[in-house]
Amino acid sequence: MSTSGDTFECGHSLEQLSNYLDTGEFSDPGHLPDCPECQAGLASLRRLGELGDELVTADLAAAGNGTDDWMQSILDNLRLELRPGRDIPVHAGTAGDILTETEGSISALIRSVTDSHPGTAAGKCRLDGDVGTPGAPVTVRVDVAVVFGHPLEERAAALRRDIAAALARHTELNIAAIDVTVADVLEPRLQGAPAAWTSRPPQPSEETP
Amino acid sequence: MNQPSASGDAAQGATAAELREVILAVDGVTEVYPARPLWQTIAGAARSAVTGDPLPAVLVEFAGDTAHVRTRIGVSGARPAPDVARSVAGAIRAHLGPRPATVQVQIVQVRSEAKPAGEST
Amino acid sequence: MTGSPPAPDHFDLVPDALLAGRAADGDTAAFEALARRHGPLMRASARRLTGSLADADDVVQESLVQAWKQLNTLRDPAAVKGWLLRITGSRSIDHLRRRKNHTALGTVEDSVAAVSGPAEGGNPESAALNGSRMEALKAALAALPEEQRRCWVLKQFNDQSYEEIAQTLNISTASVRGRLARARVTLAREMEGWQ
Repeated sequence: MSTSGDTFECGHSLEQLSNYLDTGEFSDPGHLPDCPECQAGLASLRRLGELGDELVTADLAAAGNGTDDWMQSILDNLRLELRPGRDIPVHAGTAGDILTETEGSISALIRSVTDSHPGTAAGKCRLDGDVGTPGAPVTVRVDVAVVFGHPLEERAAALRRDIAAALARHTELNIAAIDVTVADVLEPRLQGAPAAWTSRPPQPSEETP
Repeated sequence: MNQPSASGDAAQGATAAELREVILAVDGVTEVYPARPLWQTIAGAARSAVTGDPLPAVLVEFAGDTAHVRTRIGVSGARPAPDVARSVAGAIRAHLGPRPATVQVQIVQVRSEAKPAGEST
Repeated sequence: MTGSPPAPDHFDLVPDALLAGRAADGDTAAFEALARRHGPLMRASARRLTGSLADADDVVQESLVQAWKQLNTLRDPAAVKGWLLRITGSRSIDHLRRRKNHTALGTVEDSVAAVSGPAEGGNPESAALNGSRMEALKAALAALPEEQRRCWVLKQFNDQSYEEIAQTLNISTASVRGRLARARVTLAREMEGWQ
């Protein structure tokens, strides 16, 4: 019995059948339905494919959930390394010391404050202005997604207050303005069911300057 | 830049390890992160995987008598972050004693604590 | 007003294409949602390819770093899953190449076998005695020549085309076709006891 070709009596091989299952190409398609050897070979390969799918499923189950700790620590590392952004200076007690915060850490702080508001999720967050110069005016711009039905004006005002408080506490930035833009609205389907994403563009009245 | 001798390397390592403990002990500090970003230490990580030496988290370099210290930290949010940064710099200087030093502290993470009770949503 | 779940749950129902689009714009929350959604399959695939639990997690992290940096090169946002898996395949192979230079593979506890069952060193016959088709497949897979196993895993787990596998392994498409077929022939024959 040959090893690499595994040629059948009809002249075809398991290798050709393997290629056929992947690509649909076969030199002599009319031959297949009538050849018991080829049919048996195809069946065998299909069974292997199903077993392979089972293996993927089992391995996937063993790999855990995207919300588990292993993913969380990967994401934590990612955040540190990928989006540090500009350095935001902090006044040093001793001349010659250089104390800074990364723009990324402050964006994350703003997002975290936003996410902790019920019915609100943060999207993109930016600090516009020269954050590297102490005292230079900075405008915070944050996109949010809100669950439909919450009073937007009130929410935006409360959010701006909390963001302002967090920044006053943890930075020495001169915050000139905080722009909250409702970029997306989530429509709740049923009571208790998870909200569905509709990608409805916000109406002009929903945007707060 | 001076070439550290083997014993100099050990001294640097010891100081770095001590400083790491000193920094972690400062009120408000939650983590000390590697002073150099991940991709710059892949070779170092490979080396330390082979030798078993731990990666130094705090960067300490001696130029003559002066110590240059660099650290990246995460803070808990319980104290204002700028205060924590200043406390860390102070703690580092206190540990080094009279030796001249330049200190760089970078905050890379600020956890936000829960909203204080009484604030409306 | 009842509290809503935080951001990650909001993104659960957003299709891949939307998330990839936002992520390419710099939306880190959307990127994280993609990472959580496809991370487990990336991890499973990396585990099968590298044979090491620790290496697999490094591969996933490196793959996500690469993905973030190259998001703007993704032409079809809807195809982000396959794109992430392609990156995972490449990084897994890179890890294997680097490991060859460093020899030490790690403890048995770290090996994929420790998680998914004792197929290492076992043979299909003994796995058969345990009455487990899955164990027999794992044993047969572990016994394959390295190059054939990589092709098979990249096809089965990462669902890559011959061309993509060829690129990942730096071999010709014809080589992929041949190695994949030989892997299947061997595996199918081993599994024949289970028909």
